[in-house]
Amino acid sequence: MSVSINIDNVVKKYGNDTIINGLSLKIQPGEFFTLLGPSGCGKTTLLRMIIGFNSIEGGEIKIDDKVVNNIPANKRNMGMVFQNYAIFPHMSVADNVAFGLRNRKVAGEAIKKEVDEILKTVKIDHLKDRMPARLSGGQQQRVALARAIVIHPEVLLMDEPLSNLDAKLRVEMRNAIKSIQNKIGITTVYVTHDQEEALAISDRIAVMNGGVIQQIGKPKEIYQRPANIFVSTFIGLSNILDASVKTKDCAVGSKKVVFQNEGYGVRMDNLSDSVQDGQKVKVSVRPEEFEINTNGEGIAATVESSVFLGLSTHYFMELSDGKKAEVIQYSGDAEILPNGTKVSLAVKPSRINVFEYEGERTLIEGVKRS
Amino acid sequence: MTASRNRHFTIWTTLTLLIMAVFVVFLLYPLVLVLYKSVVSPTSGGFSLEYFRKFFGQKYYWGTLLNSFQVTICATLLSVLLGLPIAYFTRSTKIFGRGPLEIAIIISYLSPPFIGAYAWIQLLGRQGVITKIINAVFHVKFNGIYGFAGILLVFTLQSFPLIYIYISGALKNLDNSLNEAAESLGCTGIKRVVKIIMPLIMPTILASALLVFMRVFADFGTPMLIGEGYKTIPVLIYNQFISEVGSDDGFAAALSVIVIVVTTLIFLFQKLISSRNAYSMSALKPMQPQPAKGLKNILIHLFVYLVVILAILPQVVVIYTSFLKNNGGQVFTGGYSLQSYEAIFKEGQSSAIWNTYLFGLGAIVIIIVLGIFISYLTVRKKNVITNILDTVTMFPYIIPGSVLGISFLFAFSNPPFLLGGTAIIMIISFAIRRMPYTIRSSTAILGQISPSVEEAAVSLGCTEMQAFLKVTVPMMLPGVLSGAIMSWITAISELSSSIILYGNNTQTLTVAIYTAVVRGNFGNAAAYSTILTVTSILSLILFFKLSGSKEVSV
Repeated sequence: MSVSINIDNVVKKYGNDTIINGLSLKIQPGEFFTLLGPSGCGKTTLLRMIIGFNSIEGGEIKIDDKVVNNIPANKRNMGMVFQNYAIFPHMSVADNVAFGLRNRKVAGEAIKKEVDEILKTVKIDHLKDRMPARLSGGQQQRVALARAIVIHPEVLLMDEPLSNLDAKLRVEMRNAIKSIQNKIGITTVYVTHDQEEALAISDRIAVMNGGVIQQIGKPKEIYQRPANIFVSTFIGLSNILDASVKTKDCAVGSKKVVFQNEGYGVRMDNLSDSVQDGQKVKVSVRPEEFEINTNGEGIAATVESSVFLGLSTHYFMELSDGKKAEVIQYSGDAEILPNGTKVSLAVKPSRINVFEYEGERTLIEGVKRS
Repeated sequence: MTASRNRHFTIWTTLTLLIMAVFVVFLLYPLVLVLYKSVVSPTSGGFSLEYFRKFFGQKYYWGTLLNSFQVTICATLLSVLLGLPIAYFTRSTKIFGRGPLEIAIIISYLSPPFIGAYAWIQLLGRQGVITKIINAVFHVKFNGIYGFAGILLVFTLQSFPLIYIYISGALKNLDNSLNEAAESLGCTGIKRVVKIIMPLIMPTILASALLVFMRVFADFGTPMLIGEGYKTIPVLIYNQFISEVGSDDGFAAALSVIVIVVTTLIFLFQKLISSRNAYSMSALKPMQPQPAKGLKNILIHLFVYLVVILAILPQVVVIYTSFLKNNGGQVFTGGYSLQSYEAIFKEGQSSAIWNTYLFGLGAIVIIIVLGIFISYLTVRKKNVITNILDTVTMFPYIIPGSVLGISFLFAFSNPPFLLGGTAIIMIISFAIRRMPYTIRSSTAILGQISPSVEEAAVSLGCTEMQAFLKVTVPMMLPGVLSGAIMSWITAISELSSSIILYGNNTQTLTVAIYTAVVRGNFGNAAAYSTILTVTSILSLILFFKLSGSKEVSV
């Protein structure tokens, strides 16, 4: 029943500026797919190309096997939830939701039934006759969602739908959206710049920057095995450290990554074969993956300041080469290290990522970009 | 501390009372006098509804009210039917030459309607250029468009720009995502205009239609010039008051009361309707004009250009004829010359020009000073008196110029206020009539200035008055000045109260144009009009420079 979306080499130009140049992407039927990236990365542009508000200057967008490039937005059978909801202020909740059905000439009785049903699904059936001016942000959000899905679209598109809500409501609504999407099994494309939201809500994520897809993958893959430094730093926090690779004196298939200015290094079994002996690399380490040692094993560092956040404690440290690093420790029973404490930071070889020094692409074997 | 607070309290209160006093003397007192004169019997001196009986008793009189309604309602509807589509097209479709078109629309709105009337007489009147062509080509005896058709033509072409300016502004505040949401739900084209756009801008449509209604209903010059036998109520008021054979003050007062009742009812009706349907909107992403294709594109361009050219045509005609060689201003003898300009600049004829500038500037100074204080008092010092002040200062919106003129003559023709025929009465009438423009735009900008800015100044050692003068007023100035320019442009093109209030030495441009037209001296009329138009255009350019925008808010 659900459809796939096949984006094949599409190009978007505004005048002489090329915003997207040959982007390809395949979204599976029923998938919750997120376009994630900083503002101006082209994610909303791509979304608007899918629904038909933006023209397509090259390539094709296919729904299943049907090319939709020249089908106008109102004939594409897609529902859209807008960043500012775009609720019609002169219509009641029920009229807003019924609007699309009326345009499709659905019979009056059927409209009533459909509207009641969808309002129950999004849990605002008690607000049926309210005018939009008297709805809270979260309620307006639910109206926008109900209005978009009540027409049984083949595809649901959402453009930063949660960005106007406060933090608590955002979490509540993203769970609601996820569960509603699961229930009706509709192919969904979701745009956000909030990486945490993307991780929480998506089946798969495409990380975009500068109109180019950096990596496509499941949330866990993208977080743990970023394809490049951009993804590594955009999704969650990463400390980027300089290091070099040693292949001599190592077992077959195993290489040693030695951190700059340090004797400290770790053995890794998953580096690609292309790695040369002595090659300079960048290593990214998540703050929570550092292990603070006092036995001298690891990268020498000094505590500069700390922030206690209850569950965890954040340390801001200076490394021996002058670089700054952020370290997060589970608070537990441990005492907070005073400023100026000299410590060593050890890393687990399976939890770190190694990138080319110049190209910043991953050197970990088996990490796919898409 | 308490003492100083009390002192400031009295400063603002004193100001409130002072300004209130000004409006009591120069607005409420004259209006009360009109009301009084309308119900006092000329013979017995007691209360009597004789004048009203006279009005409703003879078709000759009440017919003018019907005529006024007829022409006003038709002109208002037609203006909406022209202004709405043009505003929508220019916002939604790429129109070639949109900038110049917009300026042409604004200029045609800013020129006084009666200039349009007299220009159209030159084109489509009995001796009109186009009339002659029509009669020669079709061998008919078309007698020119006078009466209802003529008035309607002039008013429609003069009023749709106002609808256009308002609706264009409202469409700018309509977020495009609403359009896109409608589109994604299967609603496009005209259906979308009717179901989504029209309901959302309905308050604006109504508000602008109301303004058109007021303007047209109160306008005196147009029906006077082109109406011929078709008399409207402002014409009747003028005739009753100014009539050379036995003018009737009391009857004119009664007519004024009837007119005020009508305009007040319309005003309240509009308030009621639009408050019920008002939506606060602000667009993150306004509509972007998209290029249209093929026949649709051609038709849109044809429509927009045709209407705008018709609207600006009177101005072109007037400017053109001002450079024609003529015979004492009456008959154009072929060829070009500066004769008309020489005529109006010699032998003290030019006083009308200087008077206009002098009175206009005098009024603007009053308007700016009072406007700043009034908007500040009504926004920041809300209390019962300032609320009343807020309402009273908006009265001139619903008082036709001729009524204000008459009320001023009632009030100020006798000691202690012997002001009739003086420059002072002209300046005050300009100031009172055109102040609402400045108050409105000052209030709007003040609403955007956070009170905490002033509090910051006070915390840094200013007194409240210093904070107001040093911080708030400079921040308000852009809004105040752009409103003041609108007040200025509308003041210098004011006819209906000037024609009643002017004396031998206080003629203004519009009065000079009007009398020249009535005397058939079209050369001088054209030259005067051209000076007025050029002044308006220069002021408009100044407005754009000051406000830094390409939009006019009226």
